[in-house]
Amino acid sequence: MTNQQLDPGDLDADVLRALSALPGFAPSPSFADRVMARVSLPRPAAVVLAQRAALWLSRPRRVAALAAAYGFSLLVVLSVAVPWIGAHSWLLDTAAADALAHARLWLDGAVVSLAAWAVRSGLGGALRFVGAAGPALWAGVAAASLAYAAGGWGLHRLLKAPAPAVRRDADVAR
Amino acid sequence: MASAKDLRVLGDREVVALAKAGREAAYRELLRRYERPVFSLIYRMVRDRALAEDLAQETFVKVLNALESYRPEYKFSSWIFKIANNAAIDQLRRPRLDTLSLDGAPHARTPDEVEATALQAADHAESPLEELESRELGAAIERAIGRLRPEYRTAILLRHVEGRPYEEIADVMDLPLGTVKTYIHRARLELRDILAGLRT
Repeated sequence: MTNQQLDPGDLDADVLRALSALPGFAPSPSFADRVMARVSLPRPAAVVLAQRAALWLSRPRRVAALAAAYGFSLLVVLSVAVPWIGAHSWLLDTAAADALAHARLWLDGAVVSLAAWAVRSGLGGALRFVGAAGPALWAGVAAASLAYAAGGWGLHRLLKAPAPAVRRDADVAR
Repeated sequence: MASAKDLRVLGDREVVALAKAGREAAYRELLRRYERPVFSLIYRMVRDRALAEDLAQETFVKVLNALESYRPEYKFSSWIFKIANNAAIDQLRRPRLDTLSLDGAPHARTPDEVEATALQAADHAESPLEELESRELGAAIERAIGRLRPEYRTAILLRHVEGRPYEEIADVMDLPLGTVKTYIHRARLELRDILAGLRT
C-alpha cells in the first residue's frame, strides 16, 4: 500500500482510535506511601498545643529549671525596681511634666503648642522642678530598658522549646 | 467524618478542603485520583519509567505541600497537570537527555531489562488478529508520540489520552486557546503522517 492509497480520513480515525485506546500507566505500588512520607499534613492548633505541652511535660527537669530561672529573674527585677520606685516616687509624679518639657524642645507645631498649653494650665511649677531631676530620670529609664531587653533575651534563650526527637520519615522512606 | 469510600463521590474542591483541614485520607484520595494520569503524562513525555516516577513524586510532593495556596476558583486538575507538565518539560530541556526508545531504555542491558523498560501498548482487541493489529497500532502511536515536539506531545496527550477540555489544556500550558487547538491539529497531522509512513 502507498501513501496515495491510504485514505486520510481513515488515518485520522485510526490516530484518534489509537490515542483513545492508549493505556494509563501506573507508578510502582509504594508510590503513594513515598509521596505521603514527604508531605506535611496540616495540624489543628489544639493538636499542636497539646503536642507542645506533652513535649514540655516529658522534660520535667527542664521545666523546673526554667520556672526557677523565671522566678529568679522576676525577683531580681522586683528587688531593684520596687525600692527604687519607692525612693523616687516623686520622679514618677513629674514624669508626665518632664515628657512635656522635652516635647517642647524636640517637637514643633501642635506638640509645642500642646506643651505650652500644659505649662499655662499650671504644670509650669512642676516643669521647673523636673529641670534639675530630668537627666537622672532618663538615665534610670535607659538602664531599666537595657536590663529589661537583656532579661528578655536571656529568657528567650532559656525558654526555647526543646527540639522533638522524631525520626524524619522522609529520610527513612528514601 | 467522611470515610475513604465517601471521599470518592466528592469533587476535587471538597476533597482539597478536607485535606486542608488535615485529613490524611483526603490527601490519599487526591493521590489515588491523579497518580495514574500524572504519571502517564510524565512517562509519555520523558519516556523513562524511573525518571517519570521521580518527577511524578516531586509533582505530588510540591502540590500536596502547597495545598494551602491552592485557589478553589482554579481547577485542581489544571494545577497538578501544569506542575507535572512543567517538570517534564524542564527535564526535556536539560542538555543531556536520556530518552527511552519504545524497545527499551538505552541503559537496559539484558532482555529482561529491555522488556521492563519498554512502553507497552494496551490490549483492547477482541480477536487474536485484532489484538495484534491493536498492539501494533498502539506501539506505533506511542513511537509516533515520542517523535512529536514536547508542546505538541503535551497537548495531544492531555486532549486525546486524558480527555481534558481545550480550556483546561490552555490553562495547563499557559497558552491561548487558539494556539492549543492549532497544536493539537498539527500534532494529529504529524501522527497521521508518521502512521502513514509506517504503513507504506
